[in-house]
Amino acid sequence: MDYIIDVKDLRKEFTSHSSRSGLKGAFRDLFTRNYTIKTAVDDISLQIRKGEMVGYIGENGAGKSTTIKMLTGILTPTSGEVRVNGMNPHKDREKFVRSIGVVFGQRSQLWWDIAVQESFRLLKKVYNVPDEFYNTHMADVIKTLAIEPLLDKPVRKLSLGQRMRCELAAALIHNPPLLFLDEPTIGLDVLVKLKIREFLKEINAKYGTTILLTTHDLSDIEALCERVIMLDEGKIIYDGALQQLRENWGEGKQIQFLFTEDVFMNELQELTKEHLVVWEQGTNASTWTASVENDEEIISAVIGKVVAAKRIADLKIVEITTEEIIRNIYEEGAVRNG
Amino acid sequence: MSYFSIFFQYAGQYLKTRLTYRADMAVEIFSDLLFQAVNLIFILVVFGHTSLLKGWSKDEMVFIYGFFLVPFAIFGAFFNIWDFTDRYIVKGEMDRILTRPIHSLFQIILERMELESLFGVVTGLAIMFYAGNNLGLSLHWYDPFIFLILVAGGALVYAGIFVTLASIGFWSDSRTDIMPMMYNIGNYGRYPVDIYNRIIRYVLTWILPFAFVGVYPAAYFLGREEWYIYAFITPLIGVIFFAISVFLWNIGVTKYRGAGN
Repeated sequence: MDYIIDVKDLRKEFTSHSSRSGLKGAFRDLFTRNYTIKTAVDDISLQIRKGEMVGYIGENGAGKSTTIKMLTGILTPTSGEVRVNGMNPHKDREKFVRSIGVVFGQRSQLWWDIAVQESFRLLKKVYNVPDEFYNTHMADVIKTLAIEPLLDKPVRKLSLGQRMRCELAAALIHNPPLLFLDEPTIGLDVLVKLKIREFLKEINAKYGTTILLTTHDLSDIEALCERVIMLDEGKIIYDGALQQLRENWGEGKQIQFLFTEDVFMNELQELTKEHLVVWEQGTNASTWTASVENDEEIISAVIGKVVAAKRIADLKIVEITTEEIIRNIYEEGAVRNG
Repeated sequence: MSYFSIFFQYAGQYLKTRLTYRADMAVEIFSDLLFQAVNLIFILVVFGHTSLLKGWSKDEMVFIYGFFLVPFAIFGAFFNIWDFTDRYIVKGEMDRILTRPIHSLFQIILERMELESLFGVVTGLAIMFYAGNNLGLSLHWYDPFIFLILVAGGALVYAGIFVTLASIGFWSDSRTDIMPMMYNIGNYGRYPVDIYNRIIRYVLTWILPFAFVGVYPAAYFLGREEWYIYAFITPLIGVIFFAISVFLWNIGVTKYRGAGN
């Protein structure tokens, strides 16, 4: 089996009790409770090969974090099979976690009060990394992440960007073949983001590290991942190449018009009735967006007709962004094929 | 073996940080001492009115209190888990613990240790020597070893009870006042159990065996032969209760739900 992550029909349910209203309800809650079962992850299956960089995306509450927590052995699945690095994450937890690195953007792996390098040293001991390996490997990581000047500072004095780079280094102390990143760039500025992306590409190329990344920032995914897995309400709704997603969904272009006066939908539709154009009003009655097929002739014809009939102040042609594609997919609730 | 070296690494780091906040440490040791003094004064005040309590003399009571301080100090230094539910379950810190290759309970012990509590060992020994001297107790060559074993047993009893309570947090993360209540009940173990009613005595021996932290093991050194059998099963009770608590903890970890983010 050459899959590094192999998941079949993975499911996680949470039971919670809903409290009744009022004093009487509170009394009844004491004796009988209403339990509701919420399915956070609903029978998903996925396989990831060694060396892949996969983006795991979905809205808040779609089940991303829950999946990651099951893959890292933090949570026990309700049902289904999980093999990660050839092990069952929850059963062989202590042995298993030696083979993975984890960065949770909102949670620190480092000790708040002590210097970064002391944190590294404790982790080195925890993972039982031999001195020799640590010295050469960490020197390399520290250099690439440019955190040398931060090593003797306590973590609480670091900025978010500095801390995040140290977190990454900490997750790599034992050079794991598989790295889980949960929102690693949340709240970071563009320069730090770029640096982190560069670094991830580098370790992926150098050590063949497999990376599973969840993020809200689609530019991370665009920069790093060839494959995306989309999750909605606990189910996988798309698993495939990012490129494919763009080709299937992002085939059109948008033309944004800013007119000097208010115009009406029926006027515009009348003007462009020979072509397939979807008009959408912008912030007010003088701004309109036309979504058209990505065909030079059509684009030229639509612009020509509109400009001939109405005076315009501004005009812009834009490609549909990945973000809009994803939004469209979520609005429709499923991925259409072909 | 590696758990030992990890322990010393953490302890070293702990001391390093603590020494940079020397004032804090002094205050903590001072407040511990004050707390112990208040308890001792309580015993002395009680004996201001009577010379014997159910056949126990003042010096014997003081000796038991001194003994109790030693396992209690060890427990306090390593099992600071009274706020486990809040800190690790509600805030989700358990996530981080579970991504590291060491047993989760051991990691929490490492993270939460408060070595300055060990100062209580010194106070306890001093009180025992003072009271023992008054009583004219003599030491055999093997007594120090028995002392170590009984102290370990007592500390394990404490640890077992509190780890069990902390494990409840895996099932229910609602706030309870069980922890502070249990600290109070724990204090009963430092007085001779035969001054209590039979039910309380039974509870303190077999259900919440705090008597094995103070009076039972101390009875051995006081030469109270009627309690010897209890004194000698102290390590056994400690191991059993601690093993049960670790077992419950391990089940609890599989029930961990994580904090929603």
